[in-house]
Amino acid sequence: MTRRGILRRPAAWALAMGLAVPAAATTWTVSPKGPHTKLRTVLSTAAANDSIRVLAGTYAEGALVIDRPLTLLGVGAPVIDGGQQGHVLVITAPNVTVKGFVITGTLVSNIHDNAGIHVDGGDDVKLLDNELRNCFFALHLVNTKRALITGNRILGDPATPETRRANGIHMWRCADAVIRGNRAEHHRDGIYFEFVTGSRIEDNLCRGNLRYGLHFMFSHRNDYAGNEFVDNGAGVAVMFSHSIRMTGNRFMHNRGGSAYGLLLKEINDSEVRDNSFTDNTTGLMVDGCNRVRAEGNSFRSNGWALRLFSNATGCTIAGNSFIGNTFDVSTNGDLMLNTLAANYWDRHLGYDLDRDGHGDVPYRPVGFFALLVERIPYAIIFSRSLFVTLLDQAERVIPSLTPDALKDDRPLMRPPHG
Amino acid sequence: MTMGKVLYYTLVDLARNRSVLAFAALLFVVAEGLFLVEGEAIKAVLSLVQVVLALVPLVALVFTVVYTYGAQEFTQLLAVQPIGRSAILGGRMLALGLSFLVALLFGLGLPLTVHAPGGTSLVLLVAAVLLAWVFLALGTLIALVNRDKARGVGTALAAWAGAVLVYDALLMALLFAFSDRPVEPFVLPVAALNPIDLARIAVTIQVDLAAMMGYSGAVYKKLLGSGPGIGAALAFMLLWVAWPTVLAFRVFRSKDL
Repeated sequence: MTRRGILRRPAAWALAMGLAVPAAATTWTVSPKGPHTKLRTVLSTAAANDSIRVLAGTYAEGALVIDRPLTLLGVGAPVIDGGQQGHVLVITAPNVTVKGFVITGTLVSNIHDNAGIHVDGGDDVKLLDNELRNCFFALHLVNTKRALITGNRILGDPATPETRRANGIHMWRCADAVIRGNRAEHHRDGIYFEFVTGSRIEDNLCRGNLRYGLHFMFSHRNDYAGNEFVDNGAGVAVMFSHSIRMTGNRFMHNRGGSAYGLLLKEINDSEVRDNSFTDNTTGLMVDGCNRVRAEGNSFRSNGWALRLFSNATGCTIAGNSFIGNTFDVSTNGDLMLNTLAANYWDRHLGYDLDRDGHGDVPYRPVGFFALLVERIPYAIIFSRSLFVTLLDQAERVIPSLTPDALKDDRPLMRPPHG
Repeated sequence: MTMGKVLYYTLVDLARNRSVLAFAALLFVVAEGLFLVEGEAIKAVLSLVQVVLALVPLVALVFTVVYTYGAQEFTQLLAVQPIGRSAILGGRMLALGLSFLVALLFGLGLPLTVHAPGGTSLVLLVAAVLLAWVFLALGTLIALVNRDKARGVGTALAAWAGAVLVYDALLMALLFAFSDRPVEPFVLPVAALNPIDLARIAVTIQVDLAAMMGYSGAVYKKLLGSGPGIGAALAFMLLWVAWPTVLAFRVFRSKDL
């Protein structure tokens, strides 16, 4: 902070307290035609709680800092171009609103996490309906509580190599955020959380990101609902967190050597409900998780619908439907401390004499071939060979290799949802 | 000219026989049924792959063997006429090959073009036709080598089981035995030595294999999707048609009818 900065702040506060009490806040207008043409000048002279209307035009003024509670309204999608100097917009005060801007021109750096909008300690910040075009990080929030991030379009360039990409929405040590209705495309991770708690992430679309659509670690008690994760390099990976609820999300077309619709690693006491997993290499992978409930999900046309590792304990897989997957369930060991119950399996050929909607004999969803491929991955080229099909049937009738507990005692006769 | 005549009369005989027609109808019903039952076309194509890979070689092989034995008297009759032996065998094999081609185009090609037009269907159709020809050639050779009909049919069935089951079983056993050694680069080429496996991989890699195989899957997909790769696969299949055909001609030329 310079001498001038220190001096100016008390002056502004004195002005606000002494003179502007009746007229609570001023509205400034910035436009290429005036009265004010420089956004930077207005940002440094406006008092706390003022509003600034910014009319259509391009404002290339380097990195801009918002260090007091202000409301910035873009009218006609004004462009703020950072000119590749670092961050574009930096928010260091609480209660800031930034709405309706086009933000571009972040400096790509291997040392600094430069962002389109960087928020540090800006509690109750509202970032609404902005477009972030080809930013390095797009929205980068640290140490911020109750952020509201809605309706932003975060669009990277598909041609950018991975080393020059960073995350779309990146949050570190935040709490109680609401992230709703945003699009994050062609970044490294679409949405990335570390140490973020008590937040709600809903109705977002993450598409074409090089690494993960959604990626979080050490982020507890968060809700993810109604999001769509499509065509991301490795799908969605979430790790080392507890009390997560994921409901009604769509995980689609995440294909590649180690791509997952949803990878759960070391996730405890969480819920994965009513999601759909379609056309992924692996739909849902459960690795080292405890007490995760996966219910009412639909798995369609995946390579592996569910990979349930034997280091997971107390997980419940119930009421899901498995349709048209190459492998329904696969595991990597003999131990199975999880429960499969009342799922619908399209390969299940059992009967239901008592007509209670459940098959009368247990169904074993793990085939011999699935286990073989788990052990020797490239044996996959025997997929759909007649010999393999026969072996699979034999293993289902007389199980010898599959874990004894890995069976569904009450398989559904009809899919639970359409 | 004489070969054309043999071809013509064999075709007339095959048409009268109606077995190939029945085969075409069966394929058509199976394919239509699968498209009806499976919601998504691509899943039906994948189910069809398994049916085609088992059924087409079996039918081509057994029918050729049985037909060759059945045509023994006709062959003797032709052989006493001033017709070269190559013309007799060539005409008959061409007739069989043509009728299988037509049967597959109708029984398989028609449902595929209606319900699932595209690259995968084309690969499946081409693979099916080539497989039919491979096993037609093998069947002819088996029938010519074995004078005893029961023995010939038995050999044919053994050859079919070998190609469709035993080869994969042996290969998987080897894979298991050598699983701790870097055998990955050899698995696909060795599997592709078997025409049925080659056909299966060529089709399935278009649909679901590539993504599940990691890097080598991507490489294989690129390989089998590229011009030279497709050319090599086609050439290899034609080689499988060629060698039993050449052998069959050599056997037939000096065979005591």
